[in-house]
Amino acid sequence: MMQDEIIRYEGVGMTYNSKKVLSGFNLSIKGGQKILLKGKSGAGKSTLFKMLLGFEKPTDGNLYYRNQPVDSSRVWEIRKEVAYVSQETDLGEGPVKVLLEEIFSYHPNLNKMDPQKLHILMQDFELEEDTLDKNYEDLSGGEKQRIGILIALMLGREIFLLDEATSALDSELKKKVAEYFLKHGEWTLFIISHDREWESENIRVVELKKQIGEGKQIGEGKQIRKGGI
Amino acid sequence: MAGPEVSTPEITVLSLIMCFLLLAIPLVISYRIKLDIINSTASSVARMTSQLFLVGVLLTIVFDLNNWILNLVWVFGMVTMATYTTIRNVELKMERLFLPVIISFAITNLSVLLYFNEFVLDLENLLEARFLIPIGGMILGNSLRGNVVGMGEFYEDIRRNENRYLYNLSLGAKKYEALMPYIRKSLRSSLKPTLANISTAGVVFLPGMMTGQILGGVTPILAIKYQITIMIIIYVSTVMSTTFCILSTIRTAFDEYGLVRKEIYKRKK
Repeated sequence: MMQDEIIRYEGVGMTYNSKKVLSGFNLSIKGGQKILLKGKSGAGKSTLFKMLLGFEKPTDGNLYYRNQPVDSSRVWEIRKEVAYVSQETDLGEGPVKVLLEEIFSYHPNLNKMDPQKLHILMQDFELEEDTLDKNYEDLSGGEKQRIGILIALMLGREIFLLDEATSALDSELKKKVAEYFLKHGEWTLFIISHDREWESENIRVVELKKQIGEGKQIGEGKQIRKGGI
Repeated sequence: MAGPEVSTPEITVLSLIMCFLLLAIPLVISYRIKLDIINSTASSVARMTSQLFLVGVLLTIVFDLNNWILNLVWVFGMVTMATYTTIRNVELKMERLFLPVIISFAITNLSVLLYFNEFVLDLENLLEARFLIPIGGMILGNSLRGNVVGMGEFYEDIRRNENRYLYNLSLGAKKYEALMPYIRKSLRSSLKPTLANISTAGVVFLPGMMTGQILGGVTPILAIKYQITIMIIIYVSTVMSTTFCILSTIRTAFDEYGLVRKEIYKRKK
């Protein structure tokens, strides 16, 4: 398949306070590919997402988005094109409806609020109709997570970074969400998850080794790749 | 100032001593219930007394000279002090924030002050020491309080709820769009005390300035008119300066990625 490369990590490393969290990470993600990134907690998985969004700067290596280096001007473009669901979606306080209005008032998201689509997605993901009137801070972890997923889907973007996006859902819902994302062939998915529901035949699993165990470095940051490329 | 002249009783050295005698009460209370405020009471009162005497002497000279350059220099001195005190109180580092804060303080407070002197008091000399300095001091003092709350809460909130802010950035928000909920929240908290003061004026207490004027022999009606106008300019200057301060420090406190610079914080998280 000849597809455009969307994301490329080239020998990317990260050092916090002289502690190596990540080193020599290589990965290329092409349009439409689905990648499941696995690894122990603390291995720097979330950091890889944050680098792409410009929330962290790699201390080593290079990072490219659509073949251009991710720098301070590029990140603003990436943030308009990529839908990110973080481990704990934090929308703030107040009625969900009001918080959604604010999000869809941002310039790149104008006209993206489609009440019908919202209604259908809420039904698909088993969210009660009155969830929109509730205060976000009063929702359960699972409800918050689904709101995060819902927003990502409403934005109408085609590249997704999902960081443990389904961890608080029950197995049935995990499956529903995973299937929903995976059935869109054109979508590029970069997923961090421990949930088995994501593992399917058209997903490529990338294993990330933890860099430091009890203060000693183990391994050279080599990735074990399963599945076809 | 207009109004019938009623003599204000002189405060003699003896009267001052009589007043200081009252301090025996807190000292006794402190001693009896081991409140441990004897030292701090003594040092605070001593500081207050010497500072005010110094200001009294200086103001006498400044009022007598009434030189507009000197008056402006005095006001700028107050602006500098207010800036310094604000940044120190919000526990942020001076270097990066001093310039935007002092510019915001100067522009907003001076423009309100000059507007007041020109259009409300209709003064012939806008820079008349007797008005410029005390009124300037009042609005600056209130701006300072508003800014300590406003800026302090804004930068603390950004740090505490950083993920929320980053999430908004990831949704494609511009820096100011993503910061707007934080700006709103901190402005609201900073204005709350001022608004409460305004709405309870005259009910719970007689505001200090009005009390002073009445003691000085001004009629209550004129005193309340002054008080009304002062409260309005205090409110306006607090809103303006807090908004300006937050907006102008955002330019220097955030980097080109839209992230808050960790080095502006004094305390590590």
